[in-house]
Amino acid sequence: MSRPFEGVKVVDLSGLAGSYATRMLAALGAEVLKIEPPTGSPLRRMSPFIDGAREPEHSLWWAYLAMGTHSAVVDLDDEGDRARLAAALATADVVIDDHGPDVLDGFGVGYRATGEINPGVIWVSISAFGLEGPKRSWTSSNLVAWAASGVLYTTGFDDQPPVVPAGPAQMGMHATALNAAIGAVLGLRGRRLTGRGQLVDLSLAETCLAFSPETGVPVFLDDRVHRVRAGNRRTLSRPFGIYPCSDGFVSILVLMPRHWESMAEWVHEVCDNESIIDPVFADMAVRGQTMELVDGWVEELTTSMTLLEFFQEGQRRGIPITPVNTVETLLIDPHLEAVDYWDKVELPDGGDATIPGPSFRTNQGWWSLGRAPRLGEHTTDLPVV
Amino acid sequence: MVRLLDGVKVFELGIAIASPNAGRLLAHHGAEVYKIESPTSPDIVRMIGSAWLRDNEELAPATPDSSPYVSEMNADKRSVALDLKRPEGRDAARRLLAECDVFLANFGARALTELGLDYASVKEVRPDIVYVQLPGFGSEPDTPYYPFVAWGPNQAPLVGIDDLTGHAGREPAGIATVAPPDYLSSLHAAFCVLTGLEERERSGEGVHVDIAQFETTVSLLLGPFVMDHALTGNVQSRIGNRSLWYAPEGVYPCRGEERWIAISVVDDDAWAALLTLAPAEWADDERFASNEARLANVEALDDAVAAWTVGFSSTDLAARLQEAGVAAHIVATNEDLLQDKQVMESGWYQARPSARFTRDLFSTFPIRMTETPGRWERGGPSTGEHTVEVLTGTVGMSETEVADLVEGGAAFTMDRPDLRVDRPYEDWLHILFPQDAVDGRDL
Repeated sequence: MSRPFEGVKVVDLSGLAGSYATRMLAALGAEVLKIEPPTGSPLRRMSPFIDGAREPEHSLWWAYLAMGTHSAVVDLDDEGDRARLAAALATADVVIDDHGPDVLDGFGVGYRATGEINPGVIWVSISAFGLEGPKRSWTSSNLVAWAASGVLYTTGFDDQPPVVPAGPAQMGMHATALNAAIGAVLGLRGRRLTGRGQLVDLSLAETCLAFSPETGVPVFLDDRVHRVRAGNRRTLSRPFGIYPCSDGFVSILVLMPRHWESMAEWVHEVCDNESIIDPVFADMAVRGQTMELVDGWVEELTTSMTLLEFFQEGQRRGIPITPVNTVETLLIDPHLEAVDYWDKVELPDGGDATIPGPSFRTNQGWWSLGRAPRLGEHTTDLPVV
Repeated sequence: MVRLLDGVKVFELGIAIASPNAGRLLAHHGAEVYKIESPTSPDIVRMIGSAWLRDNEELAPATPDSSPYVSEMNADKRSVALDLKRPEGRDAARRLLAECDVFLANFGARALTELGLDYASVKEVRPDIVYVQLPGFGSEPDTPYYPFVAWGPNQAPLVGIDDLTGHAGREPAGIATVAPPDYLSSLHAAFCVLTGLEERERSGEGVHVDIAQFETTVSLLLGPFVMDHALTGNVQSRIGNRSLWYAPEGVYPCRGEERWIAISVVDDDAWAALLTLAPAEWADDERFASNEARLANVEALDDAVAAWTVGFSSTDLAARLQEAGVAAHIVATNEDLLQDKQVMESGWYQARPSARFTRDLFSTFPIRMTETPGRWERGGPSTGEHTVEVLTGTVGMSETEVADLVEGGAAFTMDRPDLRVDRPYEDWLHILFPQDAVDGRDL
């Protein structure tokens, strides 16, 4: 058994928008060197922090996302440091850079200079809106990228401002990093086939746009429907969305005919409801047109049960129902425990913590990750020039 | 130009998004992606056709091809329609599998086993297969949720991100418009397929990758909050549009009905930039003097920002803020995207002919490979459009054999190939997309 990226050298010049990429490449065997300024990566300043751990080793974002990597400190304002970084870039297979257009070129350590001396390098550029176009100099954030995508406008309740999906989890950033990892592997394949590296142009904006066909132009031009904020249930049909239980919330997704049959039968049985089994409601379009009625019937059932009862009995009946989990309920989820999902990791400043397990499982033992490095722990990995 | 996946053959059993969105990346880079489907067990996107077609008796047979998602998720794939519940259909599928490098599926694990398409069975047919599956709860039988059904839209609540979506103190708003875990899983799948192919070059061996959406999305999104809970008992929940790390960050009203702007003042430099445009008194307000102070006084700060933004046009204010160095954007509606030059002139949307439509519109991929770009040739396929071509060509069956399969109901060909339809936008697409990249047609 071997790990796919053994021997692949990656230089990580990114913060949050690239870190999941290098974490995953490291998990699969790549040698990842994270370049940090003397004050540390921006991840190190992101809470939550570890009680009692010393700054800058106390961020859980760093402790999680930098796992399996090495850390070298580079002061871009120092000529000697820049030369050592340039030397590291000269032998890199993959570089992940989220500084945006022209920034690292301005220090002589961008793709322009690196590509000259290392034509095999795969340079993944992560920017706000891409390297070209009218917004190339604009900046962004997770929130701003979702705002531009069309999805933010449609998320939330109509009596409050639109609200960003997954908020503090910074989903757009991680999705961008995932695309960066794909770009890196595509680039490695390209180099194997053509002998040359290349620049990969990736943006936070397009990453979020790619998640958003529902608010995209092809859908809009076909149905001409202005998408609005519809709260936590979908307009397509019902029951579809978040419903209250006696002790929390569940998500119900009934579209397929067999799922509706089971759902209607269940409500019929428990609530003694004869109307719901009328065949007219088997048409999901009809349920969409009569959503308040259908929701009322369904809620009579959901509110009579606990989250766990409703989830397990619904699934037993073959209906796609899930709990609305929090980190607290996830950590006691019986399935995740049974599949031995949770891992432990050593923390950079000592101690350990429970973490989510590998992002996927393989029969070839691909995945393995150690702790995150301390600031500058591997600065001596940089070539001496 | 050479494409990165020329010669790679992919057997895809995909529904909706999680698997199809990975398959379409492979097709974009030149792989032959066989979408295995059938009129008897259709992809869900074939069941939600366009309203303007559904209600038109003459055009109704085109309905299963008409959801924009058919092309969004399946452009450049080949549709091979087989009834996998029939032994002859399964046999044809296995013979096609023997020719394939990649198996990609988001059918449930139990369904795959019942169809004889679990990893062990596929490996017998094709020992070095790169087998990537995306079951909601993993492919290990005898685990608690193995038999459970989990579809994209209720994965978001399951993995904890619906709870993180919404304003503090209110019930979860959830993510009602899209299903992020589907997309996130699909990107992991694309990564694993590509990695598996490279690894096979090196080792000669295939791989079985199990992307349980439940596990994958939690691993991607919740690491720091899981650790925090395990260490301190703290439960991170929804906080609206605010940031844990800086202020102001939020969605603020602008002039007009339902017009909003998103603003992120990510550090002191951005705050200084904001002050060049904002009311002068903010600069002297001690409550806003540092990021720490702004976080501590975030209610007052958000109120002040909202009272200021409401006097501006969202488009003008976003441009002025960006000019000054502050991350900002209008909260775009679907109509707004039509006015977004960055999106509309970048080739993000592509129009290509398909068997059913004169031109069909879909999105490209955000990973822009500058030296080995992918290419789009066709919109999404009609069910069974390529059955004969693939079974006679790739599999090597005789035309009689294929005809027998079709006759016996184990394979299907395209319904009404004579029926060609224009999308409602066909005549004025060139006005929306002034660049010549739309389809190579002289506009």
